[in-house]
Amino acid sequence: MKKSISSIVLAGGLLFSVGCEKMLETDLQGADLTEAEAIQSKQDVLDILQSCYDVTANVYNGRVQYLAELLSDNLVEPTVSEDLTEVFNHNTLFFNSTIGGIYQDPYITAFRANRILEVMDNFNFSATEKSQLTAEVRFLRAISQWEILKLFAQPNGFTTNNGHAGIIYKTSTVEQIVPRDPVGTNYTAIIADLEAAVDDLPQSSDYYASQDAAHGFLAKIYFQAGDYTKAAEHASNVINSGRYSLGTSVDRFEVDTVVVSEAVFSTTSNSLLRDFRSTGFTDNYRSDVNADPIFKGTLEFYNTYAGDTSDIRVKELFELVDDEEVLVKKFNQEFFDIPVVHLTDLKLLRAEALAESGGDLSVAIQDVNDVRERAYGGVLNNLASNASATEIINAARYERRIEMFGEGDRIQQLKRRGAIEGESTQVRGNAWDCNGMIIQFPISEQTTAFELNPTGGC
Amino acid sequence: MKRTLQSLFALLFSMAVWSLEAQVVRGTITDKAGESLPGASVLALGESGAGTAADFDGNYSLDGLKPGKITLEFSFIGFDAKKVEITLKEGETRNLNVALDESSSQLDEIVVVGYGVQRRRELTGSVVKLDAKKLNDMPAPSFETAMQGKAAGVQIVTGSGLAGSPSVVRVRGIASIGAGGDPLYIVDGVQLNQDYFSRGNSGGMNQNPLAFLNPDDIESVEILKDAAATAIYGSRGANGVILITTKRGGRGGLQFNFSTTQGISQPSNRPDMLNATDYLQLYREAWVNDGNTGTPALQRGVAWDDAQRTNTDWIDQTLRNGYKAFYDFSVSKGTEKYNYYAGVSFDQNQSYVIGDQFNRISGRFNGDYRVSDKLSISASTSITQTTYDRIDNAWAGGLGAAMSTALPIYPVKWDNYNISDAGDTLNRPGDWWLQAGANNNPVALRELKDWRYTDLRSVNNVKVTYSPFKNFNILASTSMDYYQSMEDIYNPAGPNTTIVGSSTAGQGIADRYPQRSYNYNGFLTGTYNWQVNENSKFDFMAGTEFQENFTRTYSMTLRDSAGNIVGNRNFVEDAAGPFYSEADLRNNYDFDSVQTSFISRFMSFFGRVNYTYKGKYLAQMVLRSDGSSRFGPENRFGYFPSVSAGWIISEEDWMKYNRFFNYLKVKSSIGWIGNANLTNIEFESRYRRNAAAYDGRDILYPLNNPNPDLRWETTQVIDFGLEYGMFEDRITGELAYYRKNTTDVLLNVSLPRVSGFGNFYDNVGALLNEGVEFQIKTRNLVGDFRWTTDFNIAYNYNEIVSLGGYSADAVSGGTNDTRTVVGEPVGTNFLVRFSHVDATTGRPVYLDIDGNPTFVWDPADRVPVGNVLPDAVGGFTNTFGYKQWDLSLLFVFVIGSDIYDSSSKRQLGRMDDWNKTPHIFDRWRAPGDEARYPLMTLDERNHGSTTPWINTNLWLHDGSYLRLRNLTVSYRLNRDQLKAFGLKGAQISFIGTNLLTFTRYPGLDPEIARDFENATDRNMSVNITYLTPPQERTYSVRLNVNF
Repeated sequence: MKKSISSIVLAGGLLFSVGCEKMLETDLQGADLTEAEAIQSKQDVLDILQSCYDVTANVYNGRVQYLAELLSDNLVEPTVSEDLTEVFNHNTLFFNSTIGGIYQDPYITAFRANRILEVMDNFNFSATEKSQLTAEVRFLRAISQWEILKLFAQPNGFTTNNGHAGIIYKTSTVEQIVPRDPVGTNYTAIIADLEAAVDDLPQSSDYYASQDAAHGFLAKIYFQAGDYTKAAEHASNVINSGRYSLGTSVDRFEVDTVVVSEAVFSTTSNSLLRDFRSTGFTDNYRSDVNADPIFKGTLEFYNTYAGDTSDIRVKELFELVDDEEVLVKKFNQEFFDIPVVHLTDLKLLRAEALAESGGDLSVAIQDVNDVRERAYGGVLNNLASNASATEIINAARYERRIEMFGEGDRIQQLKRRGAIEGESTQVRGNAWDCNGMIIQFPISEQTTAFELNPTGGC
Repeated sequence: MKRTLQSLFALLFSMAVWSLEAQVVRGTITDKAGESLPGASVLALGESGAGTAADFDGNYSLDGLKPGKITLEFSFIGFDAKKVEITLKEGETRNLNVALDESSSQLDEIVVVGYGVQRRRELTGSVVKLDAKKLNDMPAPSFETAMQGKAAGVQIVTGSGLAGSPSVVRVRGIASIGAGGDPLYIVDGVQLNQDYFSRGNSGGMNQNPLAFLNPDDIESVEILKDAAATAIYGSRGANGVILITTKRGGRGGLQFNFSTTQGISQPSNRPDMLNATDYLQLYREAWVNDGNTGTPALQRGVAWDDAQRTNTDWIDQTLRNGYKAFYDFSVSKGTEKYNYYAGVSFDQNQSYVIGDQFNRISGRFNGDYRVSDKLSISASTSITQTTYDRIDNAWAGGLGAAMSTALPIYPVKWDNYNISDAGDTLNRPGDWWLQAGANNNPVALRELKDWRYTDLRSVNNVKVTYSPFKNFNILASTSMDYYQSMEDIYNPAGPNTTIVGSSTAGQGIADRYPQRSYNYNGFLTGTYNWQVNENSKFDFMAGTEFQENFTRTYSMTLRDSAGNIVGNRNFVEDAAGPFYSEADLRNNYDFDSVQTSFISRFMSFFGRVNYTYKGKYLAQMVLRSDGSSRFGPENRFGYFPSVSAGWIISEEDWMKYNRFFNYLKVKSSIGWIGNANLTNIEFESRYRRNAAAYDGRDILYPLNNPNPDLRWETTQVIDFGLEYGMFEDRITGELAYYRKNTTDVLLNVSLPRVSGFGNFYDNVGALLNEGVEFQIKTRNLVGDFRWTTDFNIAYNYNEIVSLGGYSADAVSGGTNDTRTVVGEPVGTNFLVRFSHVDATTGRPVYLDIDGNPTFVWDPADRVPVGNVLPDAVGGFTNTFGYKQWDLSLLFVFVIGSDIYDSSSKRQLGRMDDWNKTPHIFDRWRAPGDEARYPLMTLDERNHGSTTPWINTNLWLHDGSYLRLRNLTVSYRLNRDQLKAFGLKGAQISFIGTNLLTFTRYPGLDPEIARDFENATDRNMSVNITYLTPPQERTYSVRLNVNF
């Protein structure tokens, strides 16, 4: 009996003393890696950074642009898709899955960027490398969330103190239930990230963060916020660098093998790898392969420009069919790079900013004329050298609408003019500041702290 | 040597003495009706200790008894034991026939509990036992279906009418949202691999991991409900535990058993859809209402004239009388040294949907061998092969298409030549008509697509029991549950098929998706029964257990001409047929690429102490510690204790002479049990690398937002119970109250997208289940005419107490039919309220969030308007017997659940490319009409929405029902008849299922288990129908013979 008990105790003891913890540690299967397995070197961290650019290319592949464009007066009602029709009708619902998908991507970039900041100290980056890496991730999270802010919150100037609800600006990977920050706070955070980044970035780059790109974005952001002086300063940093020129083509959406001399920061498609990052444009606008594309321009837009037969842009980028439908030819390629920041934008921006802020009008006039000379193939429509500030502003706005058609700029300008300049801008009878002029958040965002946008009123 | 000889002489002498004392008792053991009870045991109590079992005629012979006074105990499962005292004279042979009473209280029956058995009267936990008789009374491919209505607090929602569909089983409500809500199934100690989603919900159906079990192999099923019973399973026990015990050989000679069931299957309710004339009239009305003139432009480019010439009844085209045939043959034997049970069965189970057939061939061998008084070995092995010939159903096609997108204006086949503008013959008469897409011709899709699952399941178990000394046992058990599944799909290519114009498909495309699951389980227990004195008794049990399971999926490695791996695939082009029938395919294509799923491991330690004082005061303590690989190092182990106590009041002296209660017990327990039913590692970051992903460079990216704090979902369970037996057990039953507080509820939260991820597993919120169960069994009449009534009802209140700040829409994944709303039950219908149809305009009027009428449908106006969980479920069985005849009627009922008919938002919503049901005749047509449904329109804006098909409570219905679930009439042959046929027992039964349903639900079937996408969906979307096939109604004849 003693023997038996001993054997039981022994057998039991053996079982109980097995390293339970070890037995419960199981490896991930398939292609999955734990973070410890995945991030083992500086290159691994840089590969995560590359994944941020990868997602950023998806953000700018036409989707954020067309959401903004649908809100504006540039497009007619889309031919299919209830989701997009909701946007056009200024009545988006929180179950709109198209919006949900577009809304998520910039935050994927933000998460990865923030994770890099959290783990980078574990690897022996030099001080310079570390500074640049930090600058790149701050650049990427800033521009990504800036796109969300523009679409989902009323613009800067909607309230006098900009205390109206903005977005959650993510600067860490911690998951918390928190309310939306005020728009003013969002602007401060975005600008802080870009300004902190700018000096540590390389001077220029086609597809990656650079000083020029950061200045370009800062110019756009300050311009939207109505700080025209700073907008002009940052635009000048790029324009005056001499590294970019408008070139002769009015079409800046070109395959990656064509150098677009005015592109400051682009996302790229790769024909060799069949990696196309322009499908948001091509799937919806292409009129060469689809007689009835989803997006078409408004007659009002077309007629605004078509009267001037010398406008190369109207001929090359649009086509009027049956005097009814305005087909868009601007994106009639299988794939192309997306110039997110380009010289045309910055020049027109600077012109208007200088005119608004009492700056050097001769520079402003030259900026407008540079764009016009390309558009009309000569000086015939140039502003006079003594053009007034108002004339410059009107000219810049006129050119901006057609130059940046499809790029999601139009609605932002209408909102800026309403919020900052006090104009009564509207789209299809809806005022710039009505509820439906901003897009409703996906229902996933609603928590006890996060309030969705108000509905109705448009 | 000397000693050996002495022993031999002693033995011979004793034999001589025994022969002198050859007192014998023999006779027959029967029931009150005189039917023999084969296998009934006889035991001589006291010193002799001799015993035997009755043969198949109920005859027994007990010899070797000493002369003098002796007490014999006769017993048999399901009957009250009977003691008979006799005095034997020397050399006497006594004839003693005994008739046993059918047991009513079954208080002394042995009940299987976790890692052991207990007598029912000593239980402090809540356990329901269903014996084989209760599980074989209706034809069902899977045993759990037969549990419905027979156990208080156990809700069974039988799967749809498809042959291979699974049921949803809930024990005492639903205590989880994101983790699995099904009970743990254990067969002979083996924790089963129970994956309902091994094939997702392809074809509109989930898989049934329990269908491999032959119901005729089952001896009993025990359902453990409260913490006292389930805490021994720790983290696996929060949803209840179902213990399945298969048959083993009983004492006696060879016994053969054969049974067969033959039957037919029909839909319990035949879908009714519009014919072509009505559909076209409706379409024209919508066209005109929208302000159009002229001939309406039909969907899918069908010409109006062609549509008028066609009238296809797609329901007729997809339904049939399904034929069911079941055969089971078993043999068993038992001796002092060994026993075994071996059985084979074949089940051909056709549903009423053409093309849907589930076949099962199974074999089982259970054996026990007693090596010595101290050592015994048991083995159980089963092997089952199932072939399931599938077709698409529900939203994917088949009957679902017949109820939706297969319009009556579409023909099945061409009846003329279809010539292109260029003069080419595109189709000939007799070709499948596929102009509206293959999915909208369910007949063509069914005939062209060959789809089969061929599954092999083998559950094997070996147990060694060692008793080193009296009352002490060590049990070591090891088992393997292996599951292999082949999914084969074949689509022919070429003219008159669904694959036309492909340059590579050749004769057709054969797909194969192999899958293998491995589930290993081993445990070691030690038990010690310590009788301290005549009043006090302790039972100790301690053990440890390990479990591992994982799944492997296979594909073919694809290489380029240089031999480099360029990918994987699961299909072969230019194939002559499916893999299962084409040896060439099986021989020439190697599924050499293996993907292993997440490996789940459990490591556990557990113990249980039972204490009994004077046979009437009972106490039990249980503790289990579970470690799981699903949690991070900080939360890897969970501890799950329970304490319980019972008091058999009727054993008190002051109760013994009361006139009413012959048995009364109160019991109570409290415990903490857990749930860890996650399907992947979510506590740590998972990353993936893609080569040349952007700008030609590699990327590395996180796949999930890890939650290192992820921990066990814990349920605190408090239980009070009362067991009673009245008037000498003419009335017996049980009353129970329970309260289950679940905290750290595991939720697959639909993350705010600001997190950078779509979803995230988190322990948030709390759930409450509170309920009362009542069960009563009355033997209303005894004697020649017998009448027994068994009634049970269970009321359950369910509430989401907290969601940790997440919104009603936060629960992620699945069909998203219902929502989680704090203060409301799991599966709340959160919908915009429909008010009425405006009599002037015919437009629907909704209610906004404040209850004001509005023409605008806005999801921001959603409010809780119902819930899919029932308030109460139950069943009642009346069994009548007269001589050899028995009649049994089982009614089941559900009270207070809502059904959301998600299909009707299209079957009765705006005009589109779905056929409508005749309910649409009650629609608005002209100003002044008071109608249930709004005007017909092709433009959703006329229904106040920019979304074409909208969810409102117009499609929400009372789901209460009363159903005659089972009616059985059976006839047993008596002894004389058996002799005439040379049999030992025979019974023939007529069985009808789902013969009557009483409900206010206007849809097809109020009992609904739709196809689910994941565990969350399975918890939240019961009672949601989306073209779900109704239950089947069956008529069967069953024959059972023993010889």
